[in-house]
Parts: sequence; structure tokens; C-alpha cells
Amino acid sequence: MKDVLKSFIFAELIYHEDPATFGDEDNLLDAGLDSMGIMRLIMFAEKEFGVTLPDTEIEPDNVGSLKSLESWIRRSGYTG
Amino acid sequence: MTDSKEQLFNPGDYFTYVLDQEIRNAGMPGGYCGFALQLAETPDLSGLQKRLNLLVERFPQASANIEPRGKRFAWVATGNPILLELHQCQPDANEADETQRLLLDIFNRQESRPLTVHWIAGADGGTVLLIWLHPLLDARGCKILLDFLSTERPESFKDSPSLIEAKLAQWSFWKKLQLFFKAKRHNTAANSLDSCLPTQVEQGPQHLQLKVQRFDAEQSQRIAKLAQQYTGLTGRTLYYLGCFMRAMELVGPPAAKDGYCIPYAFNLRRQNAPTPVFGNHIGCLFARATRQQVRDRTGLFAHLLSEHKQVVRDELDLAYLPLMWLGQWLSPDKYAKVLRKQHSGGELSSLWFSDIGELSWGKTGFLGVPVTDLSLMCWMTLPPGLALLACQHNGKLVLSYSYLSPAIDEAWLEAVMARMNVELLETAES
Repeated sequence: MKDVLKSFIFAELIYHEDPATFGDEDNLLDAGLDSMGIMRLIMFAEKEFGVTLPDTEIEPDNVGSLKSLESWIRRSGYTG
Repeated sequence: MTDSKEQLFNPGDYFTYVLDQEIRNAGMPGGYCGFALQLAETPDLSGLQKRLNLLVERFPQASANIEPRGKRFAWVATGNPILLELHQCQPDANEADETQRLLLDIFNRQESRPLTVHWIAGADGGTVLLIWLHPLLDARGCKILLDFLSTERPESFKDSPSLIEAKLAQWSFWKKLQLFFKAKRHNTAANSLDSCLPTQVEQGPQHLQLKVQRFDAEQSQRIAKLAQQYTGLTGRTLYYLGCFMRAMELVGPPAAKDGYCIPYAFNLRRQNAPTPVFGNHIGCLFARATRQQVRDRTGLFAHLLSEHKQVVRDELDLAYLPLMWLGQWLSPDKYAKVLRKQHSGGELSSLWFSDIGELSWGKTGFLGVPVTDLSLMCWMTLPPGLALLACQHNGKLVLSYSYLSPAIDEAWLEAVMARMNVELLETAES
């Protein structure tokens, strides 16, 4: 799942010279993920993984890194 | 353009060209925008000129004319150099006032070139002013352009095809059609709420003026915290917009109608990407609220956030792209009516707004010199005759208000700015 998220993030939302070096726990917000990017990322994740990510849970602890994002998606009902 | 002398407008370029024409038709210089960077010392000006020469060599449309191509328009390179224009503050005048006077003198002059660069020399440092015509590039592109002028690695900056057209190419015909009708319905809804305006004046000679509201680091952190509290991680822009709506409502809108509508752009560029440099890669969204909604502070932010989320969930952010694509085949005056007019015939936009985000040059500064301050400006249509450009500089919020005088009453704007202060910081009176 992290690879799919990572591909989308670096193809559409954030530029990184070498995405392969971006770690699962590196900070996406510091890397440049902005408010519109977060919304687009959430919409992508909901569609791709068939879950609903509650608005009330959109916070740095859940979207701050690939690892936290994956964990949030799994907690929200993804079983794949 | 790098391998051709001609570049057709992309849908975003034409969108901004139409507004440029509206501004020119009203007797003003056109859809020009400006970034003014105050530098602590005089940079290497001959180095800057060399970099401008490299810019024209690498990106010929930086020095180009707009020419019609059938029903569409194109940038056609002239090959003319962009010469750094030098200005000097009078030594006996207050330097800040004198710099502002020169900035506005330059910005108010009639111009046909798409990009000009100026150095306004002060006693020690001075101000770099970059003025560009919006169809040439968007504000995010201007930051990239400034980075190109300053970087030690100019070879990493490349042009690339229009991101709007790349996005459109990903969709089937039916998907485009579906999105087009979504956008049209969205527009129809936006056009049904008559917008309050900051002036009743619709014509007459105007002069562009500028007022800048600066917040220190502590205030800026407080505003960021409040923005997150009210509009969440996804909506700092909405916080600024909501605060402005309330400030205007509480001071009293000079043209009072049903509610507020403030279009705002979102950028398709990836954050921090050095490419594309030129072109407009933007979509358009609307923040709307009735006057009644605006009077309830907490309810307003909840409304704006809910509306924004629904827009993204419904893909309305992307839906505007097919509409812009079809708009390319409308004449500028017909397209302008679609963009500006409500069902009642009134003006749609209560304000022109853009949140440009972080504009910082790190430890190395611009051309190796620390950027101590900045201000932004842009021309806009009349009405509304008022534009608010927001950015962060080294973590400090800067709000630049461009306004047309005499259309916008200066005392009214000062009252709105004072109220904006209260709303943003949520001091006791808000």
C-alpha cells in the first residue's frame, strides 16, 4: 500500500529529486504536502482502497508520513 | 518553447489572458503581477543580468509577444534581452515610503512586455521587483523563476508541457463531458448568489495602490493554530477567506447584496518542483457564503470547510479544467462574461484572492543576500477593484492588498484591515 501511496504523492503532489530515498517515516508535511494536496491524497486513498477516512481524523498524526497514512487507512477498514 | 519560437496558450494561460483583456479594456495596464523582495544588501547586479540573459536563452517565451493563431493565441519569442532596470531612492526621503512610491510608479505605467525586472537601490540594500503578465506564468511559477535567477544549478530548471493538458489527456471524452457539466452546475450555483462588492464604482480612471499587513512570528503561529482549529489541516486558505468575509461584512460592504463569493486558484504543480517554469497550471474554486452565514464566525468556517471538502470529493476542483479547455474557443469578451457575470448581471467576485504559500529563500537568500521583507501586488478587474495576496515569509504571514483608487475608499479598506487583524487573531472583539 505504501508504494501505491508513494507513487501518487511523488507523481502528483510533491517534487522530490529521488523519491526512492524518501523513507516511510519521513515527514510529508515538511516535504511540502499542502492543504490541497492532503485533500487530493485523501480522495485518492478512499477511491484506491475503498475506505472512508473521517474528516475529523485529518490531522498530522494520520497524514504526516507514509507509515501513519497506511496505519490510518488500515484502521479505517481496509483489509487488503 | 525551448525548441520552438512559438508556444500556443494552454487553457490556464487563456483564462488569465481574458482577465488581462478585461483590465486593459477598462484603461488599466493589464493583468500584471509583481513580487517585491527587499534585500539586506546590494546583490551582484551584473550576475543578475547574466542570469536574465540565460533565462531568455533557455526559456524564449520570457521575452515574447502575444499573437493570435486562428481562434487561439500564442507566445511568439522576440529574442529581445530582458534588461535589469535600475532605480534609485532619493537620499533625503524616507526609504520605505520612497521604495513604495517607486514600486507603484513602475507598476502603474503602461507596459506591453510580459516580464520586467527592476532594482530599486536604497542606502544599503534595496528591492528587487519582478513584474510579469499573468498569461505568462502563475504565482508559483514566479517563485520558481526567482529561484532560477538565484540558483547555482540553473540546469535543473526545465520547461515541460501544460499540466492541465496532461491531466485532460488522462480522461476519456465521456469523463471530460461529465466533469464539464459538473463545473457548469457549480458555476450556475455560484452565479445565483449576488455578491457584495467593495465598491459601487464600475468605471473611470484608476491608480493601483498597495497596503501591506505584516504579522510577526508569534502572531503568525497563533493564526496558523486558529486556522487549524477552525478549518483543519486542509483549510488554511479558507481561514483567511472567512476572516476577510467577516471583516468586510462587519465594516459594511459598500455594495451590499446577498453574500460573498471569492474565487481562489489551486495549483497543479507539485510542491517544490523546479518545473514547469512557465505557463499557468491552475484550476479555480469558489468560497461562497450568505451574509447571514458570515455573521456566525464558527458556523462560517464550518460551512466553508464543508463546502470545500464536498468540492474536492465531487472532483469539482478538476471539473473546472474541461470548462477552461472549452473556453479556449470563446472570444475574450464572451469568455469574460462567463467568468465574471452573475445571473443578475452583477460581478461575481467580491475579491480577487490568492494564497501563494511559503515564499522563503532559506539561509542563502536571494542571490546570496538575505531577503528581509516582501510584498506582492496585482492588477484586477473593476469591480471588485481589490485583491488580497497572502504568503508566508520565513514563517511570518504577509497580506498584501492591491486596490484601485479612487474606486476603493482608503478609509474603508483601513477599517477592513483593522477588523481583519481582529478576526485572524481572534482577539476579544471577534
